Amino acid sequence: MKPYVKIALFVVLFFAVSAILAALILYNKKHPDTAKSKPDFIITATALQKEFEDNEAKASARYINKILEVTGTILTVTPTDSTHLNISLKTGSDISSVICAFPAIGDPSKFKTGEEVTLRGECSGFLMDVLLKNCAMIMNRK
Amino acid sequence: MKRSFLLFFFLIIVLSVNAQRYMTKNGYIGFFSHTPMEDIQGDNNQVAGILDSSTGEIVFQALIRSFHFDRALLEEHFNENYLESDKFPKSSFKGKITNLSTVDFSKNGTYVVTVDGDLTIHDVTNKISTKGTVEIVTGGINASSKFDIVPEDYKISIPGVVRDKISKTMEVTVTMKYAPIANK
Repeated sequence: MKPYVKIALFVVLFFAVSAILAALILYNKKHPDTAKSKPDFIITATALQKEFEDNEAKASARYINKILEVTGTILTVTPTDSTHLNISLKTGSDISSVICAFPAIGDPSKFKTGEEVTLRGECSGFLMDVLLKNCAMIMNRK
Repeated sequence: MKRSFLLFFFLIIVLSVNAQRYMTKNGYIGFFSHTPMEDIQGDNNQVAGILDSSTGEIVFQALIRSFHFDRALLEEHFNENYLESDKFPKSSFKGKITNLSTVDFSKNGTYVVTVDGDLTIHDVTNKISTKGTVEIVTGGINASSKFDIVPEDYKISIPGVVRDKISKTMEVTVTMKYAPIANK
């Protein structure tokens, strides 16, 4: 085999292997760990809900898909199944809150209504409430 | 006088029990696609829903971006390529229990119901009819249903390259735990 054929084969193989590896890494990519990610915005639950209520389009453009660090008082703790949990935070509105979905959380009794907490999550938008997903607890002040 | 007062009081109780609306903001909708190549499961635990026990009306609303997938890339493709959630952020269902008279909302029990309604996904609305169960429990109503949808019916185009990985019909699961809305 001529040396340039060998080099060409090697280059092709190298690219093929890297492409497969890159595809596999991308394919199996996990969600960012919100507990360790730097938040794009730091805001209170009340201010966040008000921004969505006042101008949903503007707030959506600003916050959707961003990591938010939100501080607020726990309104409800709702286990949605054996591993998932939703925590809603009080806002200035009686009917609209900030609902945060936690992927997997140990003991739901750790969180009590009325406690002030700071959490991070990815904003998915506004339904009747501001919805955050992939949430992680940052601080739990009693 | 006394009697009419009592009757009035009784009527108010009956009316408030009958005109009861139930609600949840933590409802679940999931879909599952199975092919020999790959199983795909999307979960949404932030579905808002209202059930009116006097009329049998059922309404759901969900944000497409609230669907969660194990793999981040799948979630990205789901939102950006298939459901186009920036353009069509919400999905909704509006329907009615057609055999409402068979359900006794005043005592605990499980009933099989038929629900007819309009399902809107990707800004396309289709009529669906499905069976479900309604379970009357102390302090609320648990409702669940399972039905199949075809992505193409909602103008969701799936490129040929990945068509083999996504099944032709998706199994949709709905589970709601409603609590009564306090009468003010």
